[in-house]
Amino acid sequence: MTGQRQDISPSIDHYLAEFARIERDLPGDLTRERHERLRAFADGGFPHKKIEDWKYTDVSAIEAARFEMATSAADVPSGDLANWCPSDLDCHRAVIVDGHFQPHLSDLDALPAGIRVRALAESLADGSAPALGTTVDGHGSAFTDMNAAFAADGLHLQADPGAVADKSLHVLIVASGRQDGVMAQVRNVLELGDNSQIRVIEHYIGLGNHSYFTNAVTEVHAAPGARLERIRIQQEHPENGYHVASFHARQQRDSRIINYGIDLGGRLARIDTNSRLDDTGAEIHLYGVYAPTGDQHVDNHTRVDHARPHGTSREAYKGVLSGKSRGVFNGKVIVHKDAQKTDSEQSSDSLLLSKQAVVDAKPELEIYADDVKCAHGSTVGQLDEHAVFYLMSRGLDQDGARAVLTYSFVDEIIGQIDLEPIRVFLERAVLEKLPAGSRFAGLA
Amino acid sequence: MLKIENLHANVDGTEILRGIDLEVNAGEIHAIMGPNGSGKSTLASVLAGREDYEVTQGKVTFDGADLLDMDVAERACAGLFLGFQYPVEIPGVSNLYMLRAAINARRNARGEGEIDAMEFMQQVNEKIAHVDMNPDMAKRGVNEGFSGGEKKRNEVFQMLMLEPKLAILDETDSGLDIDALKTVAYGINALRSPERATVLVTHYKRLLEHVVPDKVHVLAGGRIVRTGGIELADTLEESGYAGIEQADTQAQAS
Repeated sequence: MTGQRQDISPSIDHYLAEFARIERDLPGDLTRERHERLRAFADGGFPHKKIEDWKYTDVSAIEAARFEMATSAADVPSGDLANWCPSDLDCHRAVIVDGHFQPHLSDLDALPAGIRVRALAESLADGSAPALGTTVDGHGSAFTDMNAAFAADGLHLQADPGAVADKSLHVLIVASGRQDGVMAQVRNVLELGDNSQIRVIEHYIGLGNHSYFTNAVTEVHAAPGARLERIRIQQEHPENGYHVASFHARQQRDSRIINYGIDLGGRLARIDTNSRLDDTGAEIHLYGVYAPTGDQHVDNHTRVDHARPHGTSREAYKGVLSGKSRGVFNGKVIVHKDAQKTDSEQSSDSLLLSKQAVVDAKPELEIYADDVKCAHGSTVGQLDEHAVFYLMSRGLDQDGARAVLTYSFVDEIIGQIDLEPIRVFLERAVLEKLPAGSRFAGLA
Repeated sequence: MLKIENLHANVDGTEILRGIDLEVNAGEIHAIMGPNGSGKSTLASVLAGREDYEVTQGKVTFDGADLLDMDVAERACAGLFLGFQYPVEIPGVSNLYMLRAAINARRNARGEGEIDAMEFMQQVNEKIAHVDMNPDMAKRGVNEGFSGGEKKRNEVFQMLMLEPKLAILDETDSGLDIDALKTVAYGINALRSPERATVLVTHYKRLLEHVVPDKVHVLAGGRIVRTGGIELADTLEESGYAGIEQADTQAQAS
């Protein structure tokens, strides 16, 4: 451990100096909390491969790059965002650029009564944000600590009891990529009152040609009976974007979260999606698709804590890997001793489209209750050659047949999204990543 | 239209086809019958271009072009259609999407633009009615959750849509009830024309009561051992393949 500390200290020193530089601009009176998390970050250092949860994901590039905080957002014209906003998506919209909430790019005027969306910086400044980090529950990493120290802004959503959003909320989190080595520390907080209901599309994109780092943390407090559908779309720049994000939810009685995570971008992406079912009858669904190509690396870790009885979790991740890409899936389900009658299912399936692509998939079940139903399965395979032959015998060429079949594999997840403009947007985005896929855009 | 000369083919190193000679002219329907393991399905797969079959000798021309030189998709675009014995299920890709992509692939190969959406749907509605398929099924994934009979109707529906020059139907008739069998027969007869040809690979005579072939061939041990008219199918029905094999053994012995 001591050896590790010495190796990495010059880089840690950089991030400590960076904190000192920006500290006076940070909103709210959180000096004690921020310093505490900063110390935890500096003491532990960046994760390395000897830590089990980071065995397959090497973040030394982030450490070595010594990113600098963007103290303000680049001026991104709204036209630059058009490609990422399906024109037929009728929604409320919040836009965050380089880690800073942008009211002039957002469209939040028509939010229904009982639902409030604002810059987290404002809520931190006036003290209306809840305490940060309570959902992380000891299951964070160096990156959650880093975010807790540095985060200046993000999205703060509050839904009053019984409030139901009429339309989805599209949150566009933009890395402008205007200059080299910029990092954004985004913090989103969603407070969902009793029986409230909303769908949030958390959409990460990268625009420019310079390397950048997005480190995001989303916290969800789901009160009894609350319903959240979250569609996380990660389309960071495939060569210049470094992306680390985590999601931490605490779910009360009979609350339900449906979470989709679609990872198409990023040179390196690591996503942790965690939820704790804190009371009876809570339910979480985690569905994921990842499709790295070239040299991309995507690591999804999930953790569901069943803490109380009658909880339900459903999880299905599908990976399609080509080129020299690497995929990691680790799905942890912990059934605590009070969580009788837990019903949990998990599956991970991946398709290797090239000989150089690698996937490491691992389900992890820990069960301390005796009356539970838990199932998990994991497959890694190649395309079904009988199906390739069938399509080719109808006239589709080799690349076309493969694109169509690969698409159909991931569409078992994406096809479930009950919001047509986003479903079609994602289907097209997946097809565009496949050789010859763009010729088949009409499939979507 | 199709000319096969001395065709030999291996599967996993074992020779399955041992010198097939066959000529099919435009306007003709040929039936290829034979016992299990005689090489019928192998012949159909080799003609369609399946990669796990290795052609070791012989020549196949289709409309004068070297068929063995084309890949599966090129053969399809040139007008060859294989009706599968066991059609594959492809969840997530709708039948209509696959058909439109298949038609457009052919049009592309001929340097034509994509098919007009209205025209395509008109053809779908017209042809799906002929095969007694619920139009809703066309919107579902390719063969997804279809029964055996529904899969075969779907093969015939695709054949009608793609209007091949040469259709090779690999036991499309097996395992069908009488209504589905009549649908298959309807499809074959509907495409019967002086410009087209059909090769029926079948185990039973049943289908040949509804589609009268110009020639019947018996395949055994990887070779065509008998060629005749519909009466050959009658003989087979009475004495079985054993009868033919026995006659051959006797003929060789004498």
